[in-house]
Amino acid sequence: MQLNSTLELYPDYTVTQLLFKDVKNAAELRKNAMEGLVQGALITPSMIVDPFQILVASNKAVHLQKTGKMKTRSLFSEIIFNLSPTNNISEAFKRFGISDSDSAVYVVLVYPKEDAVDASDIVSKINGQQIPVDTISSLSDAAKIKKFYKVSPQEEGVGSLLDAVICRMAIKDVM
Amino acid sequence: MALEVENAKLPYLSKCRLIKQGAEARVYRGTFLGKPTIIKERFSKRYRHPVLDEKLTHRRTTQEVRSILRCRKAGISTPVVYFVDYTSHCIFLEDLEGSITVRDHIASSQESGRDPVCLNTLAEQIGKILAKMHDEDVVHGDLTTSNMLLRQGSGDAKPELVLIDFGLSFYSALPEDKGVDLYVLEKAFLSTHPNTEELFQRLLKSYTQSSKKAAAVIKKLDEVRLRGRKRSMVG
Repeated sequence: MQLNSTLELYPDYTVTQLLFKDVKNAAELRKNAMEGLVQGALITPSMIVDPFQILVASNKAVHLQKTGKMKTRSLFSEIIFNLSPTNNISEAFKRFGISDSDSAVYVVLVYPKEDAVDASDIVSKINGQQIPVDTISSLSDAAKIKKFYKVSPQEEGVGSLLDAVICRMAIKDVM
Repeated sequence: MALEVENAKLPYLSKCRLIKQGAEARVYRGTFLGKPTIIKERFSKRYRHPVLDEKLTHRRTTQEVRSILRCRKAGISTPVVYFVDYTSHCIFLEDLEGSITVRDHIASSQESGRDPVCLNTLAEQIGKILAKMHDEDVVHGDLTTSNMLLRQGSGDAKPELVLIDFGLSFYSALPEDKGVDLYVLEKAFLSTHPNTEELFQRLLKSYTQSSKKAAAVIKKLDEVRLRGRKRSMVG
């Protein structure tokens, strides 16, 4: 159900992705995350096209942490920030972090292999139903994503929505 | 100085396969986040002052990815950028598996003596895409038939033309710069592919028909042909 990946550039790190629907306690989860009680990033699934998008954001977050160039305070907030096509931090949290009214949540855990995180700890905090991460397309809102990332029909002619999203995430620091 | 250590190289690259080494960069093939990936690594030039070297390398890396995004936004196919490491000056790009260069395609078509119609169509396709790129004020800087790939679409669809290597690209609205861009292509095209004058004319014709700003560019191209690509006689 959950997806575990290794980052080729940082082979000591593992990224775990989990997805939940019919979540009843989003407000409580958000509060916990803001207080730093959750060792993971809580993301609103409607803005996610594919698990690859999460991997790109996670890899960049670990890279920036290792090189001392993070723009936000923690690895998890950096993942959320990296998903955004703009360099506005508060806007990134508003768009990509979970909100109190959300009924689904995408959880990303990033940790070094030697101190592996037990995902069940987080799973137990979420009052919802876990579903496979590759079913994310059923929860993503393509129209909203296109609008926020400003993807034109011409661009969709040369690649997928995921391609357009990834390019903007990768290049935003020099735009 | 002689013992100066090599620029901090990514350990990751030792697991990738080196496929090309140029004057500016090394190109590797590997896997990144589970996808086949091309990694372009700009290395430092030790004959340059370190500060200048860092600045030039950084600027070229950023300009390369900016041009790629601007082209994609305008509907011109370029490889997807997955990740940019500004510390080691590496760009991680989509690997267009199974694609061939326009150079190889033209060469093999000429060799087999196949119907030249398909090459004509290709020349027109190139002219149209370059017109679109210049209309976005992107000047490629190194147009050759090796920097154009053909990606086979699904089924019987016409192969898609993908522009690569924006390492020398820059933004400019000047007809002069666009004219030089075409001049560089003309030189490369005619010297790589013998007896293709007619084919190249077809490319230019399609370029002219596709862009409203083409007349000024072609006029500059004619000027550049007479004097060479450098504007002044000094330096």
